[in-house]
Amino acid sequence: MIDIVGILTANVLCVVLITLGGMLISWSVHFVPVGGAPAAMAQATGIGTGTVQLAAGAGLTGLVTAGAMMNMTDSMALVVASGAVGAMIMIGVTMIVGTWVYVYGVGVPPASAKVDYDPITKDRQDIYVSQGTEGHGLPTVSFVSGIIGGALGGLGGALIYYSLMSVSTGLTATNLVGLASIFAVGIFFVNAVIPSYNIGGTIEGFHDPKFKKWPKAVQASFVATLLCALASVLTIGGL
Amino acid sequence: MSAGGSGGSAGEAIPQNKLIVFGVVGGLVAVYLSYFLVSIAGSAFAFIGALGAICAIVWGCSAVRRVASYGLGTGVPSIGMLALGMGVVATMFGLAVGGIAGPVISLITAAIIGLVIGVLANKVLGMGIPIMEKSMTEIASAGSLAILGLSVTMTGTFMFDEVLTYVVATGYIAVIYITAGLAILHPFNANLGSDETQDRTLVTGFEKGAIAMLIAGIVAAVSNGAASTPTILIGLFIWYTAFTKYRELVARDAYDVVGTGLLPTEEELE
Repeated sequence: MIDIVGILTANVLCVVLITLGGMLISWSVHFVPVGGAPAAMAQATGIGTGTVQLAAGAGLTGLVTAGAMMNMTDSMALVVASGAVGAMIMIGVTMIVGTWVYVYGVGVPPASAKVDYDPITKDRQDIYVSQGTEGHGLPTVSFVSGIIGGALGGLGGALIYYSLMSVSTGLTATNLVGLASIFAVGIFFVNAVIPSYNIGGTIEGFHDPKFKKWPKAVQASFVATLLCALASVLTIGGL
Repeated sequence: MSAGGSGGSAGEAIPQNKLIVFGVVGGLVAVYLSYFLVSIAGSAFAFIGALGAICAIVWGCSAVRRVASYGLGTGVPSIGMLALGMGVVATMFGLAVGGIAGPVISLITAAIIGLVIGVLANKVLGMGIPIMEKSMTEIASAGSLAILGLSVTMTGTFMFDEVLTYVVATGYIAVIYITAGLAILHPFNANLGSDETQDRTLVTGFEKGAIAMLIAGIVAAVSNGAASTPTILIGLFIWYTAFTKYRELVARDAYDVVGTGLLPTEEELE
């Protein structure tokens, strides 16, 4: 049987960082303008797919860029920054292409139904919202919010991956990369789904009233990630 | 918008408790049987693990169906990804510390993680779904058993060294993650609506499980410990049977099934 106390005391910092990463991911999801199925029909502001798919798309890209950076350097700051930038690029590309489709394809102006004036550009919003819809496209504030969300999510994902790779273990490099990656993916998905249940479908970004609910999701993620962090650190550390 | 259900409990002809027994017993027995038969009689018996995965997947579909009928507030796919997220952490932990008891420890760990997330969803997030705790426990356990079953089919064993080298380090774990995740989330996602019936959803679960089995069989072709041909052939057979049954049930539940004919030609349109 493995030495549970010994492994945990040796890697207590990893457990803390993984839990922190999970909480960051949970918080980040609240920034991403998720429109869900209504947005796919240009009837709600945001990107036309679910929270999990968006968070996973951006977060996993962050993991890939963080992993690529880990081949070059052991510096935690660089790895984490690389993860954040990767996720920001991915979510940014998704949002800009989505905006092209809404503007040039569907033919709707980006408009938010939650605020009358865009908090960043101060542009009027309410008169551009089509009747019977909850806004459409991605106004500037949602775009900026989405980029912040991508950065935080990538940061969290990279933090988890880096911490798992830093656990003291007897595994060979290939096996460690495989195990750390799948643990990071598993923990990432758990933390992407918890906030999506908190949001309940759609959110426009940090200006949306639903954004204020984030502490609940972060609390839930804290408990859930701590459990996953213990399981994963014990697994990797025990080998 | 809340996608995925009408906001009430789902009607069912087969009680959930029977499906729990089907999933847990079927899954665990198949994983152990497969392991022992492979080590005694040869690699051809690796396919039994995937049969266990199908039992777990059908159980998982049924749990997803029950909980998603209340309306999750977001798409059904989220719960399938959550199931495998919890499942993969629990399974790796269980196999790493458990040795021969690995599958049982994985299942128990998954159930604990699932229960905690279910409690959090109701108590902290305030989702207010009465069966959330029970369903999350079931979904995480089903995810874990599905990963176990497919891993055994790919390698012929659940000993962690083999699984780590041939499933995790090679990246096939990602294949398991997506095929099993889709198999658990897709059946209800595809059938939901006011005319959803339990047997049709579960038959879709069998069909999706068979696709996961087929893919595990293809992966087993590069593995020394597991034979791929029996898995592929049996997977194809189950897929064909389930798909035929599914078509029958669609025809039964539909008001009418009519052929639309070929697309009209340009002359006919004028």
